[in-house]
Amino acid sequence: MSEFFSIYIEETGEVFKCSDGQHILSAMASMGKKGIPSGCHGGGCGVCKIRLLDGTYKTEKMSRTYVSEGEEEEGIALACRVFPMSDIHLSVIGKLRKNILKKTTAVKRYGFV
Amino acid sequence: MGVLRISHINLRVLDMTAALKHYEDVLGMEKVHTDSEGNVYLKAWDEWDKYSVILSESDRAGMNHIGYKVEKDADLDEFKQSITDYGIEVEDISSDALEFVGRALKFNLPSGHEMYLYADKEYVGTGVGTTNPDPWPDGIKGAGVHWLDHALLMCEFDPEKSINKVAESTQFMIDVLDFYLVEQVVVGPDGCFQLATWLSVSNTPHDIAFVGGPVMGFHHCAFFLDSWDDVLKAADVMGKNKVKVDVTPQRHGITRGYTIYFFDPSGNRNETFGGLGYLAQRDRPVTTWTEDHLGSAIFFHTGELVESFTSVYT
Repeated sequence: MSEFFSIYIEETGEVFKCSDGQHILSAMASMGKKGIPSGCHGGGCGVCKIRLLDGTYKTEKMSRTYVSEGEEEEGIALACRVFPMSDIHLSVIGKLRKNILKKTTAVKRYGFV
Repeated sequence: MGVLRISHINLRVLDMTAALKHYEDVLGMEKVHTDSEGNVYLKAWDEWDKYSVILSESDRAGMNHIGYKVEKDADLDEFKQSITDYGIEVEDISSDALEFVGRALKFNLPSGHEMYLYADKEYVGTGVGTTNPDPWPDGIKGAGVHWLDHALLMCEFDPEKSINKVAESTQFMIDVLDFYLVEQVVVGPDGCFQLATWLSVSNTPHDIAFVGGPVMGFHHCAFFLDSWDDVLKAADVMGKNKVKVDVTPQRHGITRGYTIYFFDPSGNRNETFGGLGYLAQRDRPVTTWTEDHLGSAIFFHTGELVESFTSVYT
C-alpha cells in the first residue's frame, strides 16, 4: 500500500496528494490540479522548475541546462524528478510561472514566439 | 546526385537504461551496437542501413547532431565546395569516425545545429529482406515504427532584433542542399516573417522542419507508421508503458500527417507520423499558413494551439 503525502504550492495555495513512488508533477496532472507548468515529465525541458521550501524527498537525474549543481544543493529541482518522502511545501520558479499565476498566457507577438 | 534522406539522429539522454526501454519496447527499434564510449545505436525494422538513432548518455537532454545520406561519394566534394562558398565552415570527417559510416562532412546550419552528410553507411537489410519478402517481420515490439522520418529543429527567432534563423536555415537548405519548400507559416505585417518551414528533398512532405522560438534546440524527431490504425495502436502502447504523451492522436493541418507527440524518458519529444500526407513534388505549389490559422495548421481537429508545442523542447 502506497503512502500518500500532501504537496502544497506556495503561490496558488493548491494542495494535492502524491504517493511515495510518484513524482510531484505526475500526481498533480493525474488529479487534474494546476500550479506547476507541465512539460516533458522527463527532466529534460525545465518548465516545471520549483524551489522546495520544506519536506524531504528524493530526486532523479535532471538536465544541467536547467538546474545547476549549486541550485540543486539549494533545493531547486524539476518537479517531474522529485519523489516526496514527507509532506512538501514548494514554490514555482519555472519559465512559464507567469502563465500559471496570471491565468492568462504570455503575450506572443509572432504566433508561437 | 544530392541528398537522399535523413539517415540518423544523435540524442542526449539522462538515463541510458530508461531510454533503451523506451526506444526498444515502446517504439520497437532494435539495438544494433554499443560503442567504446557507451553510445547505443538503434535501427527500425524497415530501414536497411545499420542504424538511425544514436543515444548518448549526458547530463542534459537534446540533440547532438543530425545526419543525412547523399547518393554518391562524389556529391560530398560538390557539397563541401558549395557549403564553403556559402560562407559556412566545413570539416572533413574520416571514414568510421562516425561508426559504420564512410567519410563525412560536418558543419553547422545557420541555426547552429550540427549536421553531417555522408554517402556510405553499412548495409544490413530490412527485417524482411529483399527476396519474396513478407509485409512485416514477426516479433516487432511496441509501436513497431518503420523508419526515422524527419526532425523538427527549433531556431532562434526575434524579429525585433532582426534575428530569423528559420528563414536563414531554410534558405541554406534550398540554395545549397537542394531541398525544396513544401509548407510554411508566415507571421508579422503582411506575413513578412517566415516563422516555420517544412522542407523536402524526396517525395515525403518533409525531410526536415524548422520552427522559430526564443532559443535554438531540438523539438522532435518522428518515426513513420503506415496508417491511422497503427497510430492508435502506438498510443495504446504509450498508455500501457506510462509514456508522457504531449498530444494524443490527431491530424496535422500541415503535411496532413497523423500524429502523436510524446516524450522519451529524458524529455526529448518524439512523434509517430502516420500516412504519407500527399506526394510532395518539386513543382507542387507551396502551402502557406497564416498567423490566424496557426491552431488548425498544427492541430487540425481542435484548431487550438497547445502551449507546450512551442515552449517545451530540449
